[in-house]
Amino acid sequence: MNTLTSLEQAEKILAPWTKEAARPEPNRLDIIISGDDVFACTAALKQESWGYLSAITGLDLGPDAGALEALYHFCQGAAITTLRARLPRQGGSLPTLYPLYPVSSFFERELSEMFGITVINTPDSNRLFLPDDWPVGVFPMLKEFDPKVEQPRMETSSQTFPSQDGQKFYVPIGPQHPALKEPGHFEFTVDGEVITEARMRLGYVHRGIEKAVEGQNWVQNLYLLERVCGICSHTHATAYVMGVERLAGVEAPLRAQAIREVIAGLERIHSHLLWLGVSAHEAGFDTLFMYSWRDRETVMDILEALSGNRVNYSANIIGGVKFDIYPEQAATIRTGLEYLEERIRHYLDIVTSDTLFLQRTRGVGQINREEATHLGLLGPTARASGVLRDVRVEAPYGPYTRYPVSIVTSEAGDLEARFIVRLKELFVTINAIRTILDNLPESEMSVRVPRRIPAGETISRVEAPRGEAFYFIKSNGSDKPERIKIRTPSLCNWTAVLSKAPGSQLADAPLLIAGMDPCFSCNDRMITVKRLEHS
Amino acid sequence: MQKNQFPIFEKLKTWARVNSPWAIHFNSGSCNGCDIEILATLTPRYDLERFGVKLQGSPRHADILICTGPVTRQARERLIRTYEQMPEPRFVVAVGSCALSAGVFQNCYNVVGSIDEVIPVDAFIPGCPPRPEAIIDGLVKLLQSLQTAPGTENQDQVSVEKSLSRPASSLMRIE
Repeated sequence: MNTLTSLEQAEKILAPWTKEAARPEPNRLDIIISGDDVFACTAALKQESWGYLSAITGLDLGPDAGALEALYHFCQGAAITTLRARLPRQGGSLPTLYPLYPVSSFFERELSEMFGITVINTPDSNRLFLPDDWPVGVFPMLKEFDPKVEQPRMETSSQTFPSQDGQKFYVPIGPQHPALKEPGHFEFTVDGEVITEARMRLGYVHRGIEKAVEGQNWVQNLYLLERVCGICSHTHATAYVMGVERLAGVEAPLRAQAIREVIAGLERIHSHLLWLGVSAHEAGFDTLFMYSWRDRETVMDILEALSGNRVNYSANIIGGVKFDIYPEQAATIRTGLEYLEERIRHYLDIVTSDTLFLQRTRGVGQINREEATHLGLLGPTARASGVLRDVRVEAPYGPYTRYPVSIVTSEAGDLEARFIVRLKELFVTINAIRTILDNLPESEMSVRVPRRIPAGETISRVEAPRGEAFYFIKSNGSDKPERIKIRTPSLCNWTAVLSKAPGSQLADAPLLIAGMDPCFSCNDRMITVKRLEHS
Repeated sequence: MQKNQFPIFEKLKTWARVNSPWAIHFNSGSCNGCDIEILATLTPRYDLERFGVKLQGSPRHADILICTGPVTRQARERLIRTYEQMPEPRFVVAVGSCALSAGVFQNCYNVVGSIDEVIPVDAFIPGCPPRPEAIIDGLVKLLQSLQTAPGTENQDQVSVEKSLSRPASSLMRIE
């Protein structure tokens, strides 16, 4: 189905509630609705299986306008429908979408903590992502909030989850724990060895980037946003520059677009090999950990040869890229990829044949396609459950419009499938890099972009190694952004862990957590989750 | 037991400490960039274990606390708690620009500041992120300094409370 028909269909579905409709961009439909109708609209879209809930953006229109806006973004292929509900600046409320999309509870908590919007009937309205000692009634994303003013520390109970009774046995994991490389706090209620309930608290790495970007100019933000995540730094920078370029009405030269995707491909290889090692480590298979990280150094060497840095390559500038790929470098990349291809084949063989390892992965944490769709999973975690979800295929950008990539899926939906899907995806990535290198177009490296970006809104989606990275960018015509909303894939994939942990063995918990390739710093750029109820 | 009463014990302790320091890694708000480089430092290409450094899980077994990232409000208390759980003498290594100065996150509302505004730091390794070679260099320099200055008096006496009462570093909140 093409984008236009998708949007027309959405317009028809939403007609009963529509107050006003607009097409701000060829692939976007904005529908203004009343806040009370959000649930009905979402239910209608879901019933017609129109797309999935990708993100909810909160928008403060400022004290002069005297209103807040909640934007519900639904994506189907390249088409994006946004439901816009306008609310008063104080005391606004919205219904929860939790029964339709469990992942929405994460987004809704962000709304209530950052903007002071009350979410009605939400399964949990506890403090979500701000620190325990954050003062009540201070909403950091409102325009009048000054991030430079230090907030007073409030009295808190030291327990992160206060509502415990003496009858159950709780196993806390984290924030500092050998099984976690990054800080997150999990609390498993156990019955013997079996987990009966899972709760989590993130926010240890929450820095407040979305507020900080509003105080810096467009170029400065490039460097800040690259550090949302050190593993997929290039993805964040790419999503950001693609959005800003669209707002500015320029397009990066073809060669720059191609180089961006070569780097993105190399990043995907390094990220997946990193994940393979860490997951193997969680399963107690340290040999695989060491081998995969040894081979990962091949990619790191290539990235360093290209950009001068191993992590945070800083390849992008607004309007293009910083460095070229010379023929000798292309030859080095090809040699490296040949070696990696052989090694990845070996790893694929190991994760599908090693008996001990298979006992840890086969049939563990199984999620079928319906569940995966309902939970709103993204990236390889969704693809391992047979959901065809990949921005590079659904809404191709850059060189993917000319050289399509194939999508790797599995129907099994267990941990083993997640290993297989990720490793097989690397072959696709390696081939994509080769194709792009063979057809590097000749052009300039960058185009000039004005300091002030014309007013407007855009949505930029990029397939990160972990799934769809979603950027909503709004400019007010000045040299600083009005609002940038970042939704990273790890956040959506947490539902997979929390819904699958109950019933699993406690010993499987670290591997379940690692299996979806969580990235805490991505999540915590803006949001954290305290608790998820289970049906 | 008084120090230097049995110098041979002190020598033995220093020898053991320098040759097999155990490290614990704490991420207090990092973007992961430094964390993956620390992990890379332990893998075959760089192999930090040849210096006897072993990364392990419990602060109670650790000699060195390797910190990454700026300190966020939520992680601050946990960082102090982890530090206090470590047996003395304990050493802190701050890895990366953010750990040194809060880096690009200086203007973020949930960032308290650099590591040394919360706990005392013995070695600083700059970089965004530092290369594994730089991390190895920093740790080896720390170990060398232990060899020449056994007993590490200044470490034992710097309490967290004392360090917290210091004025905020001039690196923070540059208006």
